[in-house]
Amino acid sequence: MPTVNITIDGKKIQAELGQTVLQAARAAGIHIPVLCDHPALPPEGACRICLVEIEKQRALQPACTFPVTEGLVVETHSQRVMAARKFTLELLISDHPLDCMTCDATGDCLLQDLAYEYGVAGDRFKGKQHHYPITDPNPFIQVDRNKCILCRRCVRACQYINGVEAISVFYRGFNAYIGFGADGNMQDSPCEFCGSCVAVCPTAALWPKMSIGKGRPWQVKKVDTICSYCGVGCKLTLHVKDNEIIQVEGAWDGPANRGWTCVKGRFGYDYVHHPDRVKKPKVRRYLLEGKKKSRKGNAWEWVETDWDTALDITARRMLEVRKEAGASSLGVLASAKCLNEENYLMNKFARQVIGTNNIDHCARLCHSSTVAGLAISFGSGAMSNSIEDVTGQAQAFFVIGSNTTEQHPVIGMRIRQAVRQRGAALIVADPRRIDLCDFATLHLQHKPGTDIALLNGLMYIIIEKGWADEKFIAERTEGFEEFKQTIQQYPPERVSQITGVPVEQLYQAAEILGTAKPMAALWAMGITQHTTGVHNVMSLANLQMLTGNMGIPGGGVNPLRGQNNVQGACDMGGLPNVYPAYQPVASEEARKKFEAAWGTPLSPEPGRTVTELIPDILKGKTKALYILGEDPVMSDPDTNHVRECLEKIDFLVLQELFPSETEPYADVFLPGVSFAEKTGTFTNTERRVQMVRQAIQPPGEARPDWEIIRDLAVRMLAERSLNPDAPYAGWDYASTSDIMDEINALAPSYAGITHERLEKGESLQWPCPSTDHPGTPILHTKGFTRGKGKFMSIDHVPPAELPDPEYPMVLSTGRVLYHWHGGQMSRRAKGLLEIYPQALIEISHEDAEKLGLNGTKRVRVSSRRGSIEAEAMVTDRVPPGMVYANFHFPEASANELTIAALDPLAKIPEYKVCAVRVESLK
Amino acid sequence: MNQANKSSPPAIEDPRKRAMLLAALYLAQEQHGWLSPEAIRRVADRLELSTGQVMSTASFYTMFKLEPQGKYHIQVCEGLSCYLVDGAETIIDHIARRLKIKPGQTTPDGRFTLEVVQCLAACDLAPALKVNDELYGHMTLESIDTLLEKLERS
Repeated sequence: MPTVNITIDGKKIQAELGQTVLQAARAAGIHIPVLCDHPALPPEGACRICLVEIEKQRALQPACTFPVTEGLVVETHSQRVMAARKFTLELLISDHPLDCMTCDATGDCLLQDLAYEYGVAGDRFKGKQHHYPITDPNPFIQVDRNKCILCRRCVRACQYINGVEAISVFYRGFNAYIGFGADGNMQDSPCEFCGSCVAVCPTAALWPKMSIGKGRPWQVKKVDTICSYCGVGCKLTLHVKDNEIIQVEGAWDGPANRGWTCVKGRFGYDYVHHPDRVKKPKVRRYLLEGKKKSRKGNAWEWVETDWDTALDITARRMLEVRKEAGASSLGVLASAKCLNEENYLMNKFARQVIGTNNIDHCARLCHSSTVAGLAISFGSGAMSNSIEDVTGQAQAFFVIGSNTTEQHPVIGMRIRQAVRQRGAALIVADPRRIDLCDFATLHLQHKPGTDIALLNGLMYIIIEKGWADEKFIAERTEGFEEFKQTIQQYPPERVSQITGVPVEQLYQAAEILGTAKPMAALWAMGITQHTTGVHNVMSLANLQMLTGNMGIPGGGVNPLRGQNNVQGACDMGGLPNVYPAYQPVASEEARKKFEAAWGTPLSPEPGRTVTELIPDILKGKTKALYILGEDPVMSDPDTNHVRECLEKIDFLVLQELFPSETEPYADVFLPGVSFAEKTGTFTNTERRVQMVRQAIQPPGEARPDWEIIRDLAVRMLAERSLNPDAPYAGWDYASTSDIMDEINALAPSYAGITHERLEKGESLQWPCPSTDHPGTPILHTKGFTRGKGKFMSIDHVPPAELPDPEYPMVLSTGRVLYHWHGGQMSRRAKGLLEIYPQALIEISHEDAEKLGLNGTKRVRVSSRRGSIEAEAMVTDRVPPGMVYANFHFPEASANELTIAALDPLAKIPEYKVCAVRVESLK
Repeated sequence: MNQANKSSPPAIEDPRKRAMLLAALYLAQEQHGWLSPEAIRRVADRLELSTGQVMSTASFYTMFKLEPQGKYHIQVCEGLSCYLVDGAETIIDHIARRLKIKPGQTTPDGRFTLEVVQCLAACDLAPALKVNDELYGHMTLESIDTLLEKLERS
């Protein structure tokens, strides 16, 4: 960018052509006050506070919109400017409540700061004042129009950041005010309560309801940490007072979110303080009385006890089970919600302490097919690019099987920004008409379970039209010829037949995917949760190799990981077939390395997965489970069967925060702590390892999970002697930083990632092989982990259970914006539960009419596994013949209906397709 | 949208969608004399804008009516000329008393809406008023009574 020389307040500065005076001043560290301007938003020029005196300009000019030119001379605080600013402030204050004493924004209010600086007391102008009632009923944001200065920051945030455009200014002059939707309540507008408007509002006009009256900015301790909900990994700032989180903001320097959040991150934190938090360990009475297990009567009563008793009982029982039935009769479930350090300990616990590779976690249920598929295609199963380069540079997005604006809202926002502001193309492939389609270039509404046919069909056209990247294919891949043979079986007509997508749309999509470069492929559960999940993923790898979109910014394979630390839980070896950093259990070299490190022989046999461990209870193969931060009753398919299995288990230890749906089956409950009560790291979907910092003390006697695992391990190892030369045989960790030191030594991709580097402000994405390595934003830039990328020949195979005359509709399942998975956290966040209080079944208008749905619209949905009753939501989101349910509410969980049909390689259930019958309830 | 307004428009392209907003609102208002929430929604759908943006624009202009108007929308000019000929104030008062409504209101039977408007650019006919699209000039209290009676009977 060419530069110009300008002078601000006598200081000579070099500015970039195209900048405004305000931008140039900010860059040079010169302060010009503003009200309506915000660095993250386009300039407005409304408030006139940033007026400056510019040589040769007759009138004062707003610095926020005035462009720099060569030789510009600017005065930012001349007498003329000061008088003008003061005048504007007098006018603003003349119609503003002078209630700073009780206003929540005191100490954090731009208007207050300026009034103080310019000596504006509010006594100069007397006139009509507004007295708007404060009535918006939504649970999250208080709307006080009396404090609004009509700076329109909220309008711009809703337009340019989130993009739903829920906020507008209505009427004009003295009658102008901020309103929502078509001038109604916030919750009746497109508002998603992301709180971007609250984040930018300079006064208390928009303020979090949960924070009102809770504390003054100077009374609050601010702690930066990472959100506990999804895999975007938004950096948050917690405001803490008297051991309570009273407000949450997005951190402006968050690499993934840049200060923005979604409703759950910003307003769904109060689950941490919910009275349901378990505060003392508890065990079933039969265990205290040394009796045989019985789930009846007194014997099954919960008895609160002290930590020593609970841990002693747990260790004893686990050792007993191991002695009676062998180490492989025990299983460990790590937690995608817990710290990396804790997941590492769980992996060590299973392997070193118990002696089994039966460790798994909920990644099995969501992206195990991604990990397996990409491991075969590329040698490495992680998101290849970063959120920044994908959303910032992709010329086209191919989003397939991801409801991004609801499940990864901040990434959804950034995609929307790219489409609207940069003109990037967006192709959405989804059986439902999700919100993402509102701004998509093209929506391919394919039939559920036809992803392979769709992808093969698109690749057929790409090859036919000569859009394949031949250079990339020749230099970086193998297996193309065989793959091409398979693709020839998928001409557009056949693909249209299978998928239901019109031939014309296939050509339109293929053209965009084949010619726009770089093109990023993003996906989530719609691709992974199928019996053909692994093949679906490999087809996407094929696509990105075919079009040469691997290893370049703005391209790549971008599976959007669900949980806040599912990436980390996988990285830390929370999987039955790999040690930390994906070193295979079956590799003798890897096993010997860990045996030497941990000082004990290790089992060479890969363990069983979650979707096998639980059903195996009925086969007598699984006798005991140690479950950390997971609720299989809510999350696993075929709930009735899960309950049946857990009833029969010999010993179940549950370590988590709340009495979940799995709790009734636990023999021991160990209360762990939330993300706000411990320090360590989470790894988000773009392989970025980020610091989670303790902000408050845990309630009652709940303890950090890593301490519990450690203390349990020490007890169970008491009788054993490990090799004294083994450097990492011991469990004497005094902090999670100690655990990270061990991870550095044993997990090559994490070798250079230390708490120290993170605390210094470095932002690191693995692989990071040494402490002077800057981390790796993009994978596979020079070669793939396995060398050459492998084209796989994949054929379409229909889902396991399709509709038939008895169960004539397709059920697809998933989540909604306001809740999170089993709902243990989100249903205990007051606002989230208020705004979305019950399970809803999405059903099309045609089907609703056929069923005669009207009035209260309650329906019963039944499958071969079970039946639920819930309220129907009649919508055009689902095509006729399909219904959609979520698994957030135990009273009507979709998993009562889902089928445990597994992908043969990844063992992931086919949550996305099964057959159901829907009846209207009168 | 009735047939006439819907018939064969060309595909609307960005960014000219916004440029068509005022015209679209005017057409929509012509149908029923006001912009109902349904009308706002339809304009928004048709032009692929958010209802908020459409409502924001519609509420900005006093010519766009967001409440049902009477069958006869009486607009009394209070521009300078009409005011000075001892017109505007007297006329507004008279009509208000006769119809028993205040300026800005509609009679309960939905027949008349009384509005005070800015200059109708008919200074040679001052004092002037409009009823819907018809301009009436040189008004006197008698001619107003005659006019109102005629409208009441029709």
